[in-house]
Amino acid sequence: MTVDAVYLLQLTLNGITLGLLYALIAVGLSLIFGVMEIINFAHGELLMLGAFAMAFALPVMGLLYWPAMAVAILATMLAGLAIYEVLLAPLKPDEFERSILITLGLSIIIIHAMQYIFTATPRLVDTQYGFEGIEIGSIRITWTRVIGAGAALVAFGGLYAVLRYTQFGRAMRAIAQNREAALMVGIRPRVVARNAVVLAAGLCGLAGAAISPIQLVTPYMGQFLIFKAFALVIIGGLGNIPGAIVAAVALGLVENWIGGFFEIVWQEAAVFVIMIAVVFLRPDGLFKRGGMRVG
Amino acid sequence: MTDLALELVSVTAGYGDNPIVREFSARLYAGTITTLIGGNGAGKSTLLRAIFGTNRHFSGQIVFKGETIEQLPPWERLKRGVGFVPQGRCNFPAMTVEENMKMGCYTLPAGRHVAAIERVANSFPMLRTKWRTDAGNLSGGEQQILEMAMVLLVEPTLLLLDEPSLGLSPKMQGDVFVTVQQVARTGVTVLVVEQNVRGALLISDRALVMEQGRLFMEGPAAEVRTDPRIRQAYLGGNIKQTAA
Ligand SMILES: Nc1ncnc2c1ncn2[C@@H]1O[C@H](COP(=O)(O)OP(=O)(O)O)[C@@H](O)[C@H]1O
Ligand SMILES: [Mg+2]
Repeated sequence: MTVDAVYLLQLTLNGITLGLLYALIAVGLSLIFGVMEIINFAHGELLMLGAFAMAFALPVMGLLYWPAMAVAILATMLAGLAIYEVLLAPLKPDEFERSILITLGLSIIIIHAMQYIFTATPRLVDTQYGFEGIEIGSIRITWTRVIGAGAALVAFGGLYAVLRYTQFGRAMRAIAQNREAALMVGIRPRVVARNAVVLAAGLCGLAGAAISPIQLVTPYMGQFLIFKAFALVIIGGLGNIPGAIVAAVALGLVENWIGGFFEIVWQEAAVFVIMIAVVFLRPDGLFKRGGMRVG
Repeated sequence: MTDLALELVSVTAGYGDNPIVREFSARLYAGTITTLIGGNGAGKSTLLRAIFGTNRHFSGQIVFKGETIEQLPPWERLKRGVGFVPQGRCNFPAMTVEENMKMGCYTLPAGRHVAAIERVANSFPMLRTKWRTDAGNLSGGEQQILEMAMVLLVEPTLLLLDEPSLGLSPKMQGDVFVTVQQVARTGVTVLVVEQNVRGALLISDRALVMEQGRLFMEGPAAEVRTDPRIRQAYLGGNIKQTAA
């Protein structure tokens, strides 16, 4: 097998884009885990809702990308708020098992409700950018991929600033690091948990909106993503946000490389093979584990 | 010295379905230091948590500044002036000292943060020398000082301290006691649980003795210090408690 450099570069660029979108999911999962000590198994469905919201908003907005994305983000944030208030807020701190059942059940309900209402037919989403892209030599990358990657980077910058420099974000890290100390300084855990869920849902909405013109939109698109994102959170070191981002981008790359050169089944298996290897070799993940480190 | 800062009226508190502290009544006087003595597992930490509101309240009243506060959540009690520094390490280890101090200002309006941090950092110069160090990398004594500083940012009028000198070197223990005295001199009422009973009684005005969740004895620290039962149980060569 000869490796064509241009092909490899193309795969690499696509891999980075996909990886950044994975990272948005993984970071949200990490955020919710840090603050609430639960795994939100309905996280992938928030991405799916974001993708559907984008798909429906685009025609209404005259195919304009940014306004439709804003609608998608807002819609998933509202969904996140509803999920928190109805299902997660009543959870007590030590009810991890219940949280698994609740979020897993919710995930299945959302998938089937969406399928019932909108059918399982995959949707192709068109935006103002169509399938145009930039061409460098014989490499072509569509605008929707470039913009998706750019939006993800901006979101990470914003998230970093919020977690690092605002009391709103610091309170999330505070709870993740020491629950009793958080109470000591007067933090209201439920308010912070709600903020974290809504923020994480917004990141899912962004990822879903960005992914919808790149991949087909179906009610199932988020289903396996949660397991990938969960694997990434483990690989990156539980509670380590930059770790999750690095792991996600690396996964996007590996998947695209493997998918480009081997059979597609290996692409899907790669993340779990890597996760199992990491768990055996470095039980705490590749990067330092810790109370929601941001740097 | 007769102004009442806190009154506990037959307080029963604990966790889940288990009352630990039972029908505990006591009074704390404004600007004084009261030490709470008792064997391991007597319920001292449980009582402090009950006053701050981080465990389950079963019955009784907690009267602070003339208001019953036992139904309020911890942040509301903090806003009213009840500060609590829990037992063991209680800070944000992956945040710098500066960030920890900012978190200490959480319940203050944003406009007051700078002045509050300035004021407290002035009373604890050590903190400034470690300003950009992660709290988790400070020594045990430094972390204890930091935790007290974080609570003092909101200028509580009642300060609950749970074993502030635990695990510290004798010198650091001394520093912590001096700090507690300084804080009390500014008019703050202090209720302190101490494993160093001798040291705590020396800086305290009054003492409460708890056994198996109940009040066993109370009085001026000097009297409690000389009580034969206390001498035998807490001040003798053998620190092992006799739960008589
Ligand atoms: N978080 C908790 N949940 C349930 N029981 C607890 C908890 N903390 C302490 N206890 C129980 O309460 C009793 C008193 O504990 P504590 O108040 O910590 O004692 P002390 O501070 O006097 O050593 C002990 O029997 C302990 O097992
Ligand atoms: Mg204790």
